[in-house]
Amino acid sequence: MDQVEITFLLNGVTQRRMVQPNRVLIDLLRGEFGLLGTKLGCDQAVCGACTVLADGDPVAACATFAFEIDGREVRTIEGLSEDKLHPVQQAFVDNAAFQCGYCTPGMILLAAALLDREPDPDEATIRNWLSANICRCTGYKMIVEAVQQAAAAGRGRGRAK
Amino acid sequence: MNEQTKLRTIGANLPRKDAQEKVTGAAIFTDDISLPGMLQAKVLRSPHAHARVLRVDASKAQALPGVVAVATRDDFDGMSPFYGYLIKDQAVLATDRVRYIGDMVAAVAAENDATAYQALDLIEVEYEPLPSLPEIATALADDAPELFDGDKPFGVANPYGTGASGYVYPRKNVCYQFDYETGNADAFARCDHVFEDTFTFSRLQHMHLEPFVSVARWTIDELEIWSASQSPFVVRKELARVFAHPENKIRIHVPYIGGGYGAKNACKTEPLAALLARKARRPVRLRFTAEECFLTNTQHASIHRLKTGVMQDGQLIARKSEIFLNSGAYADASPLVAEKAGYRINGSYRWQHIDTKCYCVLTTTAPAGAFRGFGGTQAAWASESQIDMIAHRLGIDPYDIRMKNLLNLNEPYVPAESGIDSDLREGLSLVADRLGYRNRRRRRGRGMGLSVVVKDGGGANKPAHAFVKATTTGGVIVGSGTTEIGQGSTTALTSIAAEVLNCERDRVSLTPVDTHASPYDQGTFASSGVAIMGKAIEIAANKVKREVLAFAAEDLDCDPGDLVLQDWTIRRGNEVHPLAPMIMKHFGGPGFEFVALGYYKLPADHDAPLETKIPYWENGWGGAEVEVDEETGQIRVLQLIISSDFGRAINEGACRGQDEGGAMMGLGQALFETMVYDGDTLLTPSPLHYRVPLASDLPDRFQSILQEQGRGPGPFGTKGGGESGILTVASAIANAVEDAVGVRITDLPITPEKVLAALDRQKADGEA
Repeated sequence: MDQVEITFLLNGVTQRRMVQPNRVLIDLLRGEFGLLGTKLGCDQAVCGACTVLADGDPVAACATFAFEIDGREVRTIEGLSEDKLHPVQQAFVDNAAFQCGYCTPGMILLAAALLDREPDPDEATIRNWLSANICRCTGYKMIVEAVQQAAAAGRGRGRAK
Repeated sequence: MNEQTKLRTIGANLPRKDAQEKVTGAAIFTDDISLPGMLQAKVLRSPHAHARVLRVDASKAQALPGVVAVATRDDFDGMSPFYGYLIKDQAVLATDRVRYIGDMVAAVAAENDATAYQALDLIEVEYEPLPSLPEIATALADDAPELFDGDKPFGVANPYGTGASGYVYPRKNVCYQFDYETGNADAFARCDHVFEDTFTFSRLQHMHLEPFVSVARWTIDELEIWSASQSPFVVRKELARVFAHPENKIRIHVPYIGGGYGAKNACKTEPLAALLARKARRPVRLRFTAEECFLTNTQHASIHRLKTGVMQDGQLIARKSEIFLNSGAYADASPLVAEKAGYRINGSYRWQHIDTKCYCVLTTTAPAGAFRGFGGTQAAWASESQIDMIAHRLGIDPYDIRMKNLLNLNEPYVPAESGIDSDLREGLSLVADRLGYRNRRRRRGRGMGLSVVVKDGGGANKPAHAFVKATTTGGVIVGSGTTEIGQGSTTALTSIAAEVLNCERDRVSLTPVDTHASPYDQGTFASSGVAIMGKAIEIAANKVKREVLAFAAEDLDCDPGDLVLQDWTIRRGNEVHPLAPMIMKHFGGPGFEFVALGYYKLPADHDAPLETKIPYWENGWGGAEVEVDEETGQIRVLQLIISSDFGRAINEGACRGQDEGGAMMGLGQALFETMVYDGDTLLTPSPLHYRVPLASDLPDRFQSILQEQGRGPGPFGTKGGGESGILTVASAIANAVEDAVGVRITDLPITPEKVLAALDRQKADGEA
């Protein structure tokens, strides 16, 4: 198979790579860039553990080809915050909104994307939105509360991109 | 609630210790481990539910470029390839037979996944199909073939005390039987009523998001493994036997575990990863896909036949139970699950006579094993459903029948057993109040249900070892074999040491779990981390504290009793003496570490039914309010209120998370989540087909009430609480459905189809 050249913005830095056309994004992120915070769960685009943001949209990195991100901006959990935690991350800390932590990077990116679109979502919207991903540990309520806290802090806006 | 002294770290609700790592993506799991030269492994699995393996030829696969090793049954020279908890019946790879679709037959280690998959296609296997036995009934049928004929695999029954007994292979296709009996069967003759009901329990898949994964390498003659394992020391012991290799040359590391809920107990990927690595002479990573996880371990489906004798006023007198667990193809944890499913079937009530038989039935389906609740979930479904049915039949309120029969505080669970250490009535009353149970307006279509469950917590006869050391400048390192699987052990165990040593929790770190360096632990199970391991840490920390105070007393020439340790200084009245200079003055510039080992185990008690009195009773109280749509059979959960007594909460967030997470698992099991088999074929073989609860499934109102009754045996009155959340939910919802529309569903899940069919029968009966 001929390799394809892709150029994309990864956590704010321009990257250029030659990739196999069948290479999936998660493999590129973990294998090439060592971004191990993106977790591989079901590998079927069901569980959402591998969620990353592409141009601010949550996508399943296990079911996205690397070439599909050519010309786009990708953000992983490692790129969500620098010195200070992103408000959603801080809210996850404050609300103990995780247990094993395997779904957590994906959940946080999902929630950050939600607050980016809707800074003040109602609970039904939060529940609905979080239903894109699976958490087998927490029972979700504390995650919902964390997203509410982040929203209430009014600081979720404009940070996920 | 007990009045409790305020403590510095316990109950201070600091953020979880693992928070920063987990929210930033820095936390490392086994799935993130990579070694230089590491190969990728893939497994060839049986397409037959039951077959003789006539021929396995891997020569073509071996010849494929990029393939480094292929393992088959021909690679067992010098090995004892069978493993299992009490019964060693599962081979690293199939030997003479395969016993379920997905049984492992051969495996390849190659330079990459694609090559490994390609090689699997080149392995030739010839099977002679045998009759399959997918269900409990078919496996027990007179004409069923034996899944293990000839010499049975090696197995031993657990030792038991008063009233309990266990048998290995007591009858055809039953690998274990647990019996418990107390009182006299004549009790039934005295009863006003005897009710016989049968309940069917569904089978969940753990669906931990991090799959079973191990990385193995052999260095000269040391086997080193990184594994997502809840019980690395047990795995080490199994590997030592399987490979005839000394335990000092087997070393297992456990990074963070991405969920397990019981599944990651005992051997899963480890033996095969080790075999491949030995043959390849290179590190091997064996990572199962999500589909393979579904074929590796499940919860036990079960059938419960309960015969319960009661008095007209609702007093419970006698119960005879027959329980059949679908163990799948291999024993795995089944004997222990049978023990608990049998021991817990009578719930938290007072009885004059109990007669229980619990059978582990082998079938040609995926092996069932440890799953949160461990037989208790099955028992609670049957027992707490029948209690309600009996109440309705006698015209007694389900709340009242429970209040009448619940065990008192300190009353032994059964003769020769420890006493109940939570006020069960207080808990039920709390949940009923929060639900609004007693003042509810009754109208058809809407109903409430309750459930109360106790589970023996902390593990039977489980020992704990831990060390605590304090450095010259007051850094504290805790060594413990408890694995962090999400339950919050890192937070809880460091908090205990910080509390005892009177320092900031931030000054306490845990050693990573490493069987060469960590103190021995049987495993992270039975909600034993806080109450049992925590106790060992408390003991070790207290020893360190005493040593430090004695050291300082000598230096200051006074009585240790005059001194207080605080933030690594010694306080005497208003004087503050920093410890570091004192230590360096005595031990020299490089300094010193104070170290102590803590050991904790309840004494064995041969009179107690399970050979030791139960360390503590893990309690679940649950209440549900549902609305049933009689047109569609759809159940809407308006309220789910659950409660647990944690004794004392070290960290409220971690406690809530365990309780609520368990409850949502229970909600899925109640309403929709189940592994569906058509004969031997799993129709829900992957996360794509298998529906687990999502955030959108949250009940309209979902609350957990954290009780701190303060009577736990753990440090500062703590108990465990990892399993209570799941126990009550299914029966509470079934009870609420009957309260709402008068139909009783006795098999899980309670789907709209079943509700509609029951409503149709109700209507037909009404018209007849």
